[in-house]
Amino acid sequence: MSLVRAERRRFLKRRLIKWLLVIAVALLAIIATAVFFSNQKVDAATIAAAEAQADQEYQQQVMYWEQRHQVCGTVKEGTPEAEMCTYDLKPQRSDIRAEWYMPATFGFKANFEPLTMVWAAIIAVIAFVIGASFVGAEWSTGAMMSLLTWQPRRMRVLGTKLAVLAGWLTGIGVVTFGLWTGALWLIARLRGDTDGMTAGTWQSFGLTGLRGLGLILAMGIVGFLLASIGRHTGVALGVALAVVIVGQVGLTIVLTMLQVPYFGMYLLPMHLLAWMQKSFVVGNEFANCANPNGCEEVVKTLTWQGTGSIMLGVTVLLAVLAFWQIRRRDVA
Amino acid sequence: MTAVLEIQGLRKTYRARGGPRRALDGFEMYVEAGQVHGFLGPNGSGKTTTLRTLLGLIRPDSGDMRLLGHSVPKALPQVIGQVGAIVESPQFFPHFSANDTLSLLADAGNLPQARVDWALELVGLRDRAKERVKTYSLGMKQRLAVASALLKQPKLLILDEPANGLDPGGIREMRDMMAALSAGGMTVMLSSHILGEIQLICDSVTIISLGRRVAYGPVSEVLQAHSTNQVRVRLEDVTDLASAAAVLSGAGVSVQTHPDHLLLSNVDKPALVSRVLAERQLYVSELTPLSADLEDVFLELTGTAPVPGQARQVDNSVKPEQNGVAA
Ligand SMILES: Nc1ncnc2c1ncn2[C@@H]1O[C@H](COP(=O)(O)OP(=O)(O)O)[C@@H](O)[C@H]1O
Ligand SMILES: [Mg+2]
Repeated sequence: MSLVRAERRRFLKRRLIKWLLVIAVALLAIIATAVFFSNQKVDAATIAAAEAQADQEYQQQVMYWEQRHQVCGTVKEGTPEAEMCTYDLKPQRSDIRAEWYMPATFGFKANFEPLTMVWAAIIAVIAFVIGASFVGAEWSTGAMMSLLTWQPRRMRVLGTKLAVLAGWLTGIGVVTFGLWTGALWLIARLRGDTDGMTAGTWQSFGLTGLRGLGLILAMGIVGFLLASIGRHTGVALGVALAVVIVGQVGLTIVLTMLQVPYFGMYLLPMHLLAWMQKSFVVGNEFANCANPNGCEEVVKTLTWQGTGSIMLGVTVLLAVLAFWQIRRRDVA
Repeated sequence: MTAVLEIQGLRKTYRARGGPRRALDGFEMYVEAGQVHGFLGPNGSGKTTTLRTLLGLIRPDSGDMRLLGHSVPKALPQVIGQVGAIVESPQFFPHFSANDTLSLLADAGNLPQARVDWALELVGLRDRAKERVKTYSLGMKQRLAVASALLKQPKLLILDEPANGLDPGGIREMRDMMAALSAGGMTVMLSSHILGEIQLICDSVTIISLGRRVAYGPVSEVLQAHSTNQVRVRLEDVTDLASAAAVLSGAGVSVQTHPDHLLLSNVDKPALVSRVLAERQLYVSELTPLSADLEDVFLELTGTAPVPGQARQVDNSVKPEQNGVAA
């Protein structure tokens, strides 16, 4: 299809898109470099030394505790000492970890998922702006009108642009994910370890990457649809800003004031975490602490399926709106 | 002759902030194949609205339109490849070069890329084609717009105010180019308010005022129908003007007296004037039939002739029915 070819080329010719990609890659490179230099490889001798230091620390803690414990046997109720003695627990060896006495080291298995979230977040934000600008700048400069005097089927024009955007974003997502995984692997080899990686772990990491890709696509497409509805890049950026400021900061304040239980459920960062980590537990800050067993430990769990459905629903709704609107509204 | 463009009963009301604004009010238009057709009207009379509607960019309230024999907007996808158009001021992505802009359009229209250089050459942008459109002057953007319309090598070329922003040389080049394209069999329809231009290059015209057609037909016929048979008379002795005016009024001619001449209207035979005056020993030194030009006709029909000491507002054109639809 000739229109597909035209849109694919248009995407590559856009300078803003190139710059945004450069910025994204640079950000990831800076983060990788920082991670690289803040970690070190540790050998057996270092570990042994750290274990010894942890042992020593443990002995000391036990000694302090014994002294305190003797005092606690004699204190009277109601004095400040008695207050201190409510937490009169004997230290355990497992409370004191050898890592505390070692230089930081980069374990691939432990660090991959949190750092993949960083990748997904950065590329998703860039994807939003790319998506918005890809169609928004076309509208605001009048280039869209020129194009429509060549291709009067408006739904097809918008659909092609959207499909081409999704294609490029997928490519960008896959390539940057590959680079990011490679970089983390390299850091682990040089500044840490790649221990404990099984086929199952790899599969799980792969799925995390896929969910990251899903997030990137959704953000890019939502940016595109908002800019298309508003016929200006600025509309999408404005909506994004409004959602972050009013919808998140404002909402947090209001929900806190109203003491809404589990208000984390209504906040985007929690959903972002739920999506990327497969689930996220929201606690209740306003739980009833009056009962004899202390605060009731009730939590709500956000699942990636739930969050994914919301994401999909919003995207589909915006798509319906955007396509209906381009069909109906005058281009003038 | 077949019509390549037909419009009947076209109506469009914009829903604007200050209330509905009727832009087209039962507009009609016909353009025959092979012609250069001028589309004239004052600012805000509905020219651009007509062209946008034809191209499917806006939805009319009612009316029938046909392009190259196909009913539009329904059949627009079939005919759009043969209709090259620029609407309003040319609008392109400012950060792309002329080359990129046309190349992308050629792709979108499934045309060979070789056409790009051909079109740029034709409008004189070859040497600047690699520069960003943002850096172009208005006239250069206008040339690029014309190039984009020509890219399709269309049967029908629709140009909205193509001379906008062009230098005198550019206007002449545009005129020559249109003559050449027309000679090559292309039908050209151009809107303009530069009337001298239209009179020079157009075979026929449509004049629009407040969304309605007020005159149409071959240029010569429109001029004929609206020429007022005016005659300017000067006498050898200026002091005789008053008595000459009285004599002519007596002979049934309507006379306007000016300091140094008389202006007679509805004079069929100028010779009569000199005879009547000579009988009273009043000798004519000049007797000039005044031919109306398109500008006069335009100003008369649209009621947009300037009135001294009054700032005319854009929507103050005369209602068509007060003029009577002509030709
Ligand atoms: N998008 C629009 N919204 C509201 N009114 C419009 C719009 N476009 C044009 N108009 C109005 O319609 C009338 C005709 O405009 P237009 O067709 O652009 O005139 P022309 O091209 O002959 O100068 C004008 O009164 C103008 O203000
Ligand atoms: Mg106009």
